[in-house]
Amino acid sequence: MKTELPWHSKFDLLGVTFILFILGSFSSLLAIEGSGRDLDYMGNLLRFTGQFFPPDWSIIDRTVEGLLETVQIALVSTLLAIIISIILSICAAGTIAPFWLLWPTRMLLNMIRTIPSLLWALLAVVIVGSNPLAGVIALTFYSVGYLAKFFSETFEAANTDAQKALRSLGASPLQAFQFGLWPNARPIIWSHCLWMLEYNVRSASIIGYVGAGGIGLHLKLYAESADSWNKFSLVLLCILFIVTILDLTGEKIRKSIRDKLDGKPSRT
Amino acid sequence: MTLPLLSTEELGLRIEKRTLLKNLSISLNQGTFVAVTGPSGSGKTTLLRTLAGALTPAEGKVISNLDSNKSLAMIFQDLQLADGATAINNVLGGSLGRHSFLSTMFRFPAKERKEAYHLLAKFKLSGKTNQWTSTLSRGERQRVAACRTLLTKPHLLLADEPVSSLDPILAVEVLSHLKSSILSRNGCLVCSLHNDEQVAQFADIAIILDATEPNGWKLESLKENIK
Repeated sequence: MKTELPWHSKFDLLGVTFILFILGSFSSLLAIEGSGRDLDYMGNLLRFTGQFFPPDWSIIDRTVEGLLETVQIALVSTLLAIIISIILSICAAGTIAPFWLLWPTRMLLNMIRTIPSLLWALLAVVIVGSNPLAGVIALTFYSVGYLAKFFSETFEAANTDAQKALRSLGASPLQAFQFGLWPNARPIIWSHCLWMLEYNVRSASIIGYVGAGGIGLHLKLYAESADSWNKFSLVLLCILFIVTILDLTGEKIRKSIRDKLDGKPSRT
Repeated sequence: MTLPLLSTEELGLRIEKRTLLKNLSISLNQGTFVAVTGPSGSGKTTLLRTLAGALTPAEGKVISNLDSNKSLAMIFQDLQLADGATAINNVLGGSLGRHSFLSTMFRFPAKERKEAYHLLAKFKLSGKTNQWTSTLSRGERQRVAACRTLLTKPHLLLADEPVSSLDPILAVEVLSHLKSSILSRNGCLVCSLHNDEQVAQFADIAIILDATEPNGWKLESLKENIK
């Protein structure tokens, strides 16, 4: 008896999209051209990066100040985004919201996500001027686009058994949501929030480039005065430091949340 | 004579195209423990869910004499607990029907919390009250689900294999708690069980289902004083 799968069984969705991806990237390769001039690529790179070292530690005080402002912008904007996103995500969750509310909300979120953070920052600077408030406004809008989508997907994917059970035991729809669905979604929503905070610290570092407060302004100043690349590199180092710390703590918290939900007893 | 809490007339159950049960006419009277037994796939869960009103019967009807003072509640076979909530909050979910959204939004009333702790302690879970249910064992989760349903203070309790994950000694304890708390308010307990000893020890009436013959169900009276 023949037990082998037919030859075309490899061409499922996964296989076909992988082949399309490979074909697409190779054909795109043909369209990518250099300047055509004969440049000393390696020499250019070494000369340029050489200016980054050693980092100039004399500006560390100012840099830390800028970083602090960056983190503050990220914290405030993430908090605002979480509040707005929880409301919007309920309107965008297929399992909760009615049809007429669902699609307008999803369209709105798509529109918000289409605009990059730097553009939000430009818009905010035009409206409220060049200050950290502009950064908060920009990142709040930017984060809502993502967080609300993540939250609504979490609500849709969360186990609704407990919600239904509570309804059958006499709870009102709101109570069943609060005590049946929300506890299942809450840990995942919190881990999305931590990720967004990390992301916003990164974003807040760059939006200063267009005047929306934070460390980005320093980056812009050092990049524009030709001989300050060693100061530029110090700022980059500091951003790297803070982002790494956030990344590590975020991962640790997310892992413990996952373990707890999977039923592994906590060690504390 | 008082009316039965719930009765069925010529009840027939079907899942997909398969007929599970035909012509079942029973009365669930106050003060009785009814056991539902039979092999897997004989329709125990379908029968309980139909009695609970979650499924519509394929034939016949379910006649309910329950009202707002005499309520029905179910312990689900798949428990249906909120994993990310603590054991105590899952149990307190059973009291939600008695309170408005605002009065339970931040904190449950002290009386309910006291009662929930009391129930958990009775079911030997007092050390686990503040643990997430996802971190509890299957047997512990089963008892949390039982506590939640008991806190609704039902008159008719439908329990779908409520002791399937418990060791025999604990199973007997849980069953006697369930029985005493329902019978103390002169209610009725319908419980699907796999263990014949438990049926003999607790039940007044047994409904024995047949997996192959829809008409093959039997009613057995196990206590002399119950007709």
